[in-house]
Amino acid sequence: MPKTLHVALREFNSTVLTKGFIVGMLMTPVILIVALGAVMVLSNLEGPRAAGEVALIDRTGGLVAPGVEYRFSEEGIAAERARQAEALDHTLDRAADAFGADDKHRDMVRGISRSAAARANGSIPVLSLRLLPEDADPEAEKAPVKAARVRDPSAASRAPDAPPQRLALAVVPPEAISTGDDGRYGPYEVYFADKLDFQIQQEISRRISAAIVDARIRSDPRTQAGSLAPEDIRALLKEPEVTGRTVTADGEKPVSKLTEITGFLIPVAFMLLLMMSVMTGGQYLLTTTIEEKSSRVMEVLLSAISPMQLMVGKILGQMAVGLLILTVYSGAGVASLLILSLDHLLNPMNVVYLLVFFLIAFFLIASFMAAIGSAVTEMREAQTLMTPVMAAMVLPWILVMPISRAPNAGWVTALSFIPGLNPFVMMIRLAGSEPIPAWQIPATIAVGVISAMIAAWAAAKVFRVGILMYGKPPNFRTLWRWIRMA
Amino acid sequence: MTDAIVIDGLTKSFGPKLAVDNLSLRVPAGTVCGFIGPNGAGKTTTIRMIMSIIFPDRGDIRVLGRASAVESKDRIGYLPEERGVYRKMKVGAFLAYMARLKGVDSRGLRPKIRHWLDRVGLADAEKKRCEDLSKGMQQKIQFLAAILHEPDLLILDEVFSGLDPVNRRLMRELIDEQHRMGRTIIFSTHTMYEAEQLCDRVFMIHHGRKVLDDSMRDILARFDPRSVLVEPMHEEDLDALARVEGVAGVVRGVGAGLRSRVYEARLDERVDVAQAMARIAAALPVRRIELKRVSLEDVFIDLVQRSGERAPSRAELGADSELGAAEEEAALNA
Repeated sequence: MPKTLHVALREFNSTVLTKGFIVGMLMTPVILIVALGAVMVLSNLEGPRAAGEVALIDRTGGLVAPGVEYRFSEEGIAAERARQAEALDHTLDRAADAFGADDKHRDMVRGISRSAAARANGSIPVLSLRLLPEDADPEAEKAPVKAARVRDPSAASRAPDAPPQRLALAVVPPEAISTGDDGRYGPYEVYFADKLDFQIQQEISRRISAAIVDARIRSDPRTQAGSLAPEDIRALLKEPEVTGRTVTADGEKPVSKLTEITGFLIPVAFMLLLMMSVMTGGQYLLTTTIEEKSSRVMEVLLSAISPMQLMVGKILGQMAVGLLILTVYSGAGVASLLILSLDHLLNPMNVVYLLVFFLIAFFLIASFMAAIGSAVTEMREAQTLMTPVMAAMVLPWILVMPISRAPNAGWVTALSFIPGLNPFVMMIRLAGSEPIPAWQIPATIAVGVISAMIAAWAAAKVFRVGILMYGKPPNFRTLWRWIRMA
Repeated sequence: MTDAIVIDGLTKSFGPKLAVDNLSLRVPAGTVCGFIGPNGAGKTTTIRMIMSIIFPDRGDIRVLGRASAVESKDRIGYLPEERGVYRKMKVGAFLAYMARLKGVDSRGLRPKIRHWLDRVGLADAEKKRCEDLSKGMQQKIQFLAAILHEPDLLILDEVFSGLDPVNRRLMRELIDEQHRMGRTIIFSTHTMYEAEQLCDRVFMIHHGRKVLDDSMRDILARFDPRSVLVEPMHEEDLDALARVEGVAGVVRGVGAGLRSRVYEARLDERVDVAQAMARIAAALPVRRIELKRVSLEDVFIDLVQRSGERAPSRAELGADSELGAAEEEAALNA
């Protein structure tokens, strides 16, 4: 086995066969999933369960009260839930259509959303309605609201036969359902208990507002005579659904918000994969080179192999590390797309391009890292020299949005030919939905390969001089001198 | 006898500093050569050039009959001055890695590593991480890394530094063992004791120039101090010693401590040494009389002084050589 491969093998083993690496590689997606789950759970978490009554002073002559009563009754709540569930199913169906999911997955997603909705509904506060006389004094009736202790733990353990706490007092004036001189309806007032959860406040006013709207419609002389019920009017007001289709030379494709999102998410995913695998290998290359230098093992190695063999071996070893990460993560990505039957979103050719641009980006970055690692003695000395690498890592993040929106703009084409950025820019463009001119693919690959070769050549020069230099860390000017030396 | 290393007109400068200046030397195959010189004399630079780790500005180096060490790296064992180990690597794995880099077949490598670890008293270290070993232990590991591939040429840069007396002796034995196996060994040191003990031949460089290149025997003969060490039975006989024919002067013996009763009788240039010694023995009763042998240390100091430098004081050198030896004896007897 050639010596270079021995170096590569050691580099790979000493990087991968550590607890830190294994935990890090497995943990990154696990942390992501856990964090996502935590956000979902947390958003479903209700505040302290608030149970209590809502008092209503209806001054409209009893026009609003029945509607409010209905919306606070079990029957009304059940009807509302049914309506929501239907709307949700409809949305999901449309989403599933857009993704082209089959029936099995459609049912699966529907089941998940139903159970989520049921859980959300379970947290709806138990509210009872108390109708107060029309001439009740709002100031006097506010007193129980003021006295309510919404978040007081002792309040929750009050005797079961105790009267419910008053969480809110609503006062609906006649103007709320009849227009004034300016043709506008007047407002109504709700007084909430201190620290009452915002969602509960919204729920209360939503129910009352809906009842008021119903009352307006019913009391309007124009509907009183006719046959238009409030439900009819709501139905009339509902915006129609749009079925947009994009017409291309290949045929028609449905347009939806979701394809737009995936059109953005997939390029980001590809860029992320590329960046993660390149940077992990590159970072390890920097660390191990600095370690070999600072632990003075370098000269021992150089008695057996040439600097070039050492550098090439190390780069190959870390390339294998990068490829491992690329394989594991992209494998996980492809597997989850297959499970969800969304594999049609993935162009197999893009996986090939991912590999090609990984190699280009990796050799470029690795050359930089090897050169920097050889030139410094400590990690912190490397920071200033890392600036160009960091720029190449940060810029794609800033650019990913504008590039995926206009993948064929002139400036994007120009960026595709800038060494360092070119693999990332091209990956974003290739993974997007808009095809790019065919000539640009081989041309940018050629630019990438040439730049990587130049970087490797310069790195070899710096490496040869740098590995035995101790003391003051060099700046870019010194590095340039080393490159021109010999 | 062929030469393991031939250096011709070697010159290397770092910026304005001339590190090695037109150096030529030959290392005959199968010999142990000491490479001595004060700190900063250019020893490590020369060795690095021999190893093709850095390249000379001018001059030729032939190693083991090849144009450079690059072509014969697998036949050379090298212990650099700047040496280290992979801290997190296990000792056995580190040695196996170094051996494989030197082209050793992995078959039979493990038992061999175990054998050598046992030989240097680190039998239990195979599964330990390198960072868990002391510096001296690490140095022995590095020595093993240099010899595991059974090289024809062994280059050891400052191999004795940082070793305790017991391990110094072990290292001398190991080097001697390698020598008896027919290997050419070149080691640099600035401690004279080991050089004197081990070397067939000594090179000395100073300010990048060669100031000494000779076999040990010839050096000692050439730097014959023409002195007789005398320890009289009675101190009052000193006058008699000074009056002996051929004795040019008497000084209190140096290097043997302040309470020494050994005196050094310098002899005239023309006097026959054997006859003079007989005359001294006849002139006064002596506890001890011997011909003073030059030590490499004397040569070292003499050469450095001759080049107009402040020589390292005896105390500085003594700390490394004689005291080192005494300390070693004490440690071994304990």
